[in-house]
Order: sequence, then structure tokens, then C-alpha cells
Amino acid sequence: MTDNLLGLLVVIPLATAVASVALIRHRIPQRVLGLVSFGSMLVLALGWLSEIRDGDVLVSQMGGWQAPYGITLVFDSLSGLLLCAGLVVALGCYVHSFSMLDPVTERRYFHPLIQLLIVGVNQCFLTGDLFNLFVGFEIMLMASYGLLVIGGSRRQLGQAYKYLILNLIASTVFVVCAGLVYGMFGTLNLADLARIVDARVASGEGLPPGFVGVSVLLLFVFGAKGAFFPLWFWLPDTYHTCPVPVAALFSGLLTKVGVYAVARTFPLIFAVGEARDVVTPLLLVSAAVTMLLGVLGAVSQNNVRRILAVHVISQVGYMVFGLALMTTAGLAGALYYMVQHMVVKSSLFLCCGVMERHAGSDDLDRLGGLLKRDRFLGVAFFVAAMSLVGLPPLSGFFGKLVLVREGWADHWWLSVVALLTGLLTLVSMLKIWTKGFWLPPAEQAPPAPGRDGDTGSGDLRGAYAGIGFLVVVAVLIGLAAEPIYEIAFHAGEQLTDPSAYIRAVDPHGLIAAGGATGGGG
Amino acid sequence: MTTVLAICVTVIVTVSVYLMLSRELKSIAMGVFLLGHGANLAIIAMSGSPVLPGGDLRQPPILGGENLVDALPQALILTAIVINFAVMGFLLTLLVVTARKTGTLNVDELALEDPPVASPEPDRTADRGVGR
Repeated sequence: MTDNLLGLLVVIPLATAVASVALIRHRIPQRVLGLVSFGSMLVLALGWLSEIRDGDVLVSQMGGWQAPYGITLVFDSLSGLLLCAGLVVALGCYVHSFSMLDPVTERRYFHPLIQLLIVGVNQCFLTGDLFNLFVGFEIMLMASYGLLVIGGSRRQLGQAYKYLILNLIASTVFVVCAGLVYGMFGTLNLADLARIVDARVASGEGLPPGFVGVSVLLLFVFGAKGAFFPLWFWLPDTYHTCPVPVAALFSGLLTKVGVYAVARTFPLIFAVGEARDVVTPLLLVSAAVTMLLGVLGAVSQNNVRRILAVHVISQVGYMVFGLALMTTAGLAGALYYMVQHMVVKSSLFLCCGVMERHAGSDDLDRLGGLLKRDRFLGVAFFVAAMSLVGLPPLSGFFGKLVLVREGWADHWWLSVVALLTGLLTLVSMLKIWTKGFWLPPAEQAPPAPGRDGDTGSGDLRGAYAGIGFLVVVAVLIGLAAEPIYEIAFHAGEQLTDPSAYIRAVDPHGLIAAGGATGGGG
Repeated sequence: MTTVLAICVTVIVTVSVYLMLSRELKSIAMGVFLLGHGANLAIIAMSGSPVLPGGDLRQPPILGGENLVDALPQALILTAIVINFAVMGFLLTLLVVTARKTGTLNVDELALEDPPVASPEPDRTADRGVGR
């Protein structure tokens, strides 16, 4: 099906960003504009998601240039679900920021930057070719660099470079990979690539030399962005220093885009034929180590924000687990896990922001007695934390259920690691719960200075609205697991059998008829 | 031609890796920029024939009349150059801000969470007007 309005999901935030720059001195109009932008995108995306519930694929060819010659935007089950989840997270964090950011930080182009971040994220999810994926990554990363050092405190500047340099190197490798792929196949359109690779494997012609090398290089690129083992070292320090709404948004969106890129390109193209024998073991080992090391790191921390940040890594391990299986159910489980993780993790970070506001610190030794002081926060945190752990009927349970069951047959050891990780997650979450909420406050510790960029007004209504919204959505994802899984399974089928995807991108059969035959110009 | 390009790419990447292994952020930034240029050259080299058939360097590669080289890699590189330029501008600005605020561009000194020098608070108030 064709829907030429898909471009709106990129145009709306871009236009809002430009308008926000013009209104940079006026806080309230900027906020209203931002809310309108997020709200309208969410409505559009949910509308399209309900259209593709039966496994359809919406396609928009930019400027009427047919694939593989033009730029293609694709809204299928995989990108649709993640897009909606991403917009929900962005809306929640945005509302939260109204009461958590101080006016000085907010005036430093916070609103335009957050819109630009969404431009990049949406483009990554929607794009149908490899080079535009790179461009989307770059837009997202540029905005994230800006948000990371927003406020410009010494600590932020000192820690930002790790993230910056690693991502710059990864991006450069990505461009080289795009060039190599173009040299090998004469096209960068994902549907076209999938068709060529498939045809060459089926006909026994084999893949060009160096194809496996490109696969592994791309795995490095996406792994660096998605924080897979052994490329996760930048993450804890980065999320530790920026303002809470930004950290929450990053935890929900940035790593997931890396995982999405693997899910989109590897089952279709880069893990086909002999490349699969190389990539799959890498993914399996990476999944196990990421899960286990991440959660062990989290248990060892004594600082709410660090515990949550290191947990992001551990959760990425579950998603890689699903990807590594490369079966319909495995991919569907990974997708559902990503959706629920984005919402749950961001809401936990937002809770952490309010905890810091109450206690002046996120050090667990300074916290305590928050349940008496702020009952709403306690309940919200508990629901989100148990959802992360995977207690039925909350959303994390259904994600883990499918993954563990699917992995049990071929890779039982990985399922065992996943279950063990779940147990350790419970330990670390209970640590926050007991020390932060349950036990009485510690003896009069001297109040620590507030974190940079977080000292806004005393009004917490925006913060509660953001947390409440995300926690309610997290519970709904658990209760509505079946319809979401229906879409997720369609996504899994489309990834394991790309013929529907190719047909949708190229309804007139241009690619199959005359397009590039491959073989390097 | 491809051989020449391949040698160029090798030299550029070698130099950039050497620069990036430095402890000084200025050198690391220069290394990253060089790596970007190396990547662009690599795309040109991969795109098949980077000049018109016959190796005529005096003719523009896309407006060559009957014989044209593939224009797509050139478009890709143009995009990559623009992005690289933007990143370069941002990184250099950040270096200036960091040097002003912390007085150092050494990686080891920056990695310290709590600096032995003055607290960041006075700096914050001092440049409030900058970001508006």
C-alpha cells in the first residue's frame, strides 16, 4: 500500500525545531508547539499502526521516484511498533522536563534539539535504504551530542568525549560499509539488496568476497550504537551526567535504534548464507555476556542513576538474544521486549529524577523513607521496577516468556543466563526499593549539591504527569500483550521471509525486472 | 587510479589512527576528521571507475557527454562531507568550550569526575548569557 503522508513523521518535528529556534526566548509557546508536534505524530503513527495490523506494509516513494532509484520510506510492523513506542517515550520525557529542567538549560535550545533527535530517530525507523539509515543516525547523534552537554557543566564536558569519539568512529565505519555494499551490489535499497543477496545464495552463485567482512563491520557499527558487549563502556558515564529527562530519553531511544538497525538489516541481508555462520555465534556470545555483565554491574552500584544506566546494557542483551535466534518467534520476542523496555526504562529514569529532587542526591546511602513522603512516586517506581524484572501480569514477563521459550530448544544455556539475569535484576531493583523507599532515611547526611541542569522550580506536576503517563502505558503494554504480539509476529515473519517487504517497496516489479544485477560496477 | 586511491586511503587512515591514540583531545579530533576524509576516498575507490573511462582527469566526471561515471557515489560523498563538516564544527566548538571551562584538553585529566580545581558553579553563572 502506498501512503505518501509518511514523510510527515520527519517533516513535523523538523518544522517544529525550526519554529522553536525562532521562538527561543518564549518558553510557553515553545512547549505548546512541542506538545502539538509530539501529539500529532503519535496520533498519525497510531492510526497507521492500526492500518497495518494484518501485516500490511505502508510505503512512500519520495518525489515519485520508484525504488530502487529514489528514497523510500517504509512503515511496516517492525518500524511502526518502535516508532509508536519511541513517540510515547518522547512525549513522557518531554512533559517531565517541564518541571525538571531549570530555565537556563531550557533556553539553551533544549526544545529544538529534542525535536531534531526525533527527526533522526523517525528517519532511522522509516527509511528503506542503507545510506538514509546513516543520515538518520547522524541527525539523531548530532542532536544527542547537543543534549548531552546541554548546560555545559565541567562534569558533562569531561564525560561527553567518550560517547562522541566512539560514535564518530562508528559513523565513519558505517559510511565505508555503505560504500563497500554499493561497490558489491550496485544498490543501497534494502529491499533490492535483500532480493539480490537471496537470489545469489539460491542460485549457488555465492556472495561476493568480503561480504562477511562487511557484515561484521556493520555489526560493530550497530553494536557501538546499541551498547552490545564489548562496546558498552561509554554508556554508564554518559547517562550519569546529563539532566534526567535527557537521560530518560536516551535510555529509551538511542540504544534501541542500534538494535533496530541490526533487526532490520541482518535477517534480511547481512546474515544470509555464509555470513550467518559468522554473525550468529558473535550475536549469541554477545547476548549472553551483555545480559550477565550488565546486571552484575548494576548490582554492584550504589547509586540509583548508575544502577538504571548499567541496567540498560543488560536489557539490550535480551534483545540481542532474540535477534541472534533469527526465528520468527525470536524476532517477535525481541521486538516486544524493545517496546516494553523503552517505556519501562524511561519511566524508571524519570522516577529517579524525582527521587533526586526529594533527597538532593541519588546516592542510596543518602536516600530513604521516600514511600512515606511521596506515595505516588513509590507506587509508580514499584510497578515499573517489577515490570522490568518480569513479574506477571506486567509487560516484562511476556517479553521474557517468548524469548526464553524460543531459545530453550537450540540454546538452552542462553535461556538459563536470561533467567539468572532476571533474578539479579530483581536483586538490584529491590536494593533501590528497600534503601530508597522502604527503610527510614539515613542519619542526617549533609545535603549534596543538586545535579547540574536539574534545579528547576519546585513544581512537580509535569514530572508526575510524565511518570504517570509512561507507567500507565507500561501496564497497558502488559495487559494488551496479545494484540501487540500479533503485530510483532507479523514483523518476525516479514523479517524471516522478505518477499512481502520487497513486493510492497516495489509493487511494479522494477527491481526484479531490470534493476542492478549486482557484481560491482 | 584505484591503486593510487587505495594507497591514499591507507596513508590517511594510518595517520588518523596514530593521531587518535594520543592523550590530547586536539589530536584525537584531528584524527577523527582525517578518518572522515579517508572514508570518503574509500567510497570513491569502491564506486568502480572514479574518473571517466580512459582515465581522463581533465573532464568533469558527471558532465562528460556520452560517457558518464556513476553519479550516486558522488552524491553519497557530498552528503557525507556535509555531515562531516557539521560534526567538525560542533567538535571544535566543544573543544573551545571545554578548554575555557576546565583549562585542560588532556583525556586523563578530563576523565576525573571531581576536579581538584575550583567547583563548576562560578563558571556556570559566568557564561549564562552565552547560550541564549
